[in-house]
Amino acid sequence: MNFITSLRSEILKTKRTSSVWISLLGALFIPSIFLIMYLTRPDKLVPRLMMAPWQIHFSQGWQGMNSFLFPMYIILICALIPQIEFKNNAWKQVFASPQSTAQVYFAKFLTVHLMILFFYALFVAFMLMTGVVSDLANSKYTFLERRVPWSVLMQLNAKTYISILGISAIQFWLSLRFKSFVGPVGIGLALLVGGTIATGFGWEHVSKIPYAHPILTLMSMKDKGPLQLENHELNSIGYFIFFTALGYWDLRTRKERG
Amino acid sequence: MSTTPVIQTEALHYHFSPDVKTLDNINLTVERGSVYGFLGPNGAGKTTTLRLLLGLLRNQQGSIRIFGEDIATNRISILRKVGSLIEQPSLYGHLTARENLEVYRRIYGADKSRIEATLALVDLSGTGSKKAKQFSLGMKQRLSIAVALLHRPELLILDEPTNGLDPNGIIETRELIKKLNRDEGVTIIVSSHILAEIEKMATHVGIIHKGRLLFQGTQPELQHLQEKESIVQIDTSDNRAAQGLLQQYSAVERNGCVELACADRTDVAAINRTLVAGGIDVYRLQPRQNDLEQLFLDITSGNQ
Repeated sequence: MNFITSLRSEILKTKRTSSVWISLLGALFIPSIFLIMYLTRPDKLVPRLMMAPWQIHFSQGWQGMNSFLFPMYIILICALIPQIEFKNNAWKQVFASPQSTAQVYFAKFLTVHLMILFFYALFVAFMLMTGVVSDLANSKYTFLERRVPWSVLMQLNAKTYISILGISAIQFWLSLRFKSFVGPVGIGLALLVGGTIATGFGWEHVSKIPYAHPILTLMSMKDKGPLQLENHELNSIGYFIFFTALGYWDLRTRKERG
Repeated sequence: MSTTPVIQTEALHYHFSPDVKTLDNINLTVERGSVYGFLGPNGAGKTTTLRLLLGLLRNQQGSIRIFGEDIATNRISILRKVGSLIEQPSLYGHLTARENLEVYRRIYGADKSRIEATLALVDLSGTGSKKAKQFSLGMKQRLSIAVALLHRPELLILDEPTNGLDPNGIIETRELIKKLNRDEGVTIIVSSHILAEIEKMATHVGIIHKGRLLFQGTQPELQHLQEKESIVQIDTSDNRAAQGLLQQYSAVERNGCVELACADRTDVAAINRTLVAGGIDVYRLQPRQNDLEQLFLDITSGNQ
């Protein structure tokens, strides 16, 4: 199938790029900090994790992730994938090849999301390893005695992923518009800080700001636990659909390509 | 074999800003099996024309037909049979030569064996795990040509393929173009701003200047046009006096030489005799080299 061909070609282009390394290092960051803390301060952390080690471990981990690191990763990865073409002057060759604009756009956007899922998979794996390694190093931890709550893990993944959907579509659109890497990343960072501040002030319309959605999800998990879809998460899906369509329309109607 | 031209544009106009015409009424005809040299100085509109042919720019006015099909409606089926190299190489610097070809092989649905075949053709088989960003400019240009050739295109669109290459690279690229045309019957449109370059490989020539197509025809037709205006340059001990003696040829002094138009070689001998008899030493007497600038002057003065 044509689309699969375009997708495979896009995935091949990411080989050895910084997007792979950023995914790996980004996913490793919080689990390694946790591991260091668990190994150096068992006196404080063993009691804290005693009741439900995996639940607390996961909840802390995803909260740390969603507050800043994860949205930041989305902003970077959305810019890095289109940058492969800009940096190598390769858009013209892409558009002079027999692929429809839809194929080019959606294969690239799907590559971005596959990279995000790769990041998730790594993060989950590192989080699990942190628990196991801590228990092996210090038997006072009870990770190995308890079952991993897979459903909680899946819900955490699903909710945080939904919370960044809106940002991903906006950032991808911006990253196709700007030739330079600095543009979309700068705008994304500014909006992310803005979203965080608006949340801090408790603004009544904050659920309409896509860049506040990850932190709102984080707060809703603290309150109620990861069970149902919040309003802002539905908004995030809405923004995702709107900006994905806008980005495609923008690329399609451009006078000059490549 | 069909006689439909491979490329046919009618009344192509293009402007980037409303008051500057980048292309003005371009009617290009590229016949099947030809090497069409698209000649013009930088900024003449060559790249704009070629980008329009590939659908990289949205057509504003006029029609473009490639293989008899309209690019506006049949872009993808046309592009399947076209290979292109527009301006600087578009290669993925972090990938090897083989990986770069693999990216496009999938899209064109070309056979796996084409990768080794095209690498051998452009003499890059031995590059192994070396990344494209470590290649010399000549190697990058050759790999770009390999990308363009991967799917055995019927039409090759090459924009200044020898730009930035050393003399050896220029000769190799030229030979490759001729070979592809001769052995595989590929129709090629190749742009350049160097007349001598085009003369060495093109069967047909189109000359574009300030967005207008000044000349289009076969290479012999172009040569004929140049011969009509054969100019002789003479360097003498006293150019001013020589100019006086040669008034009947309407000689002028230019670039430290006397220049005059003469229709026939017996005139050249007569001119030499006149000068010698007039006591003027002749150091040099030669046909003027045709460069692009001069060709434009000739064509534009001929058009007036």
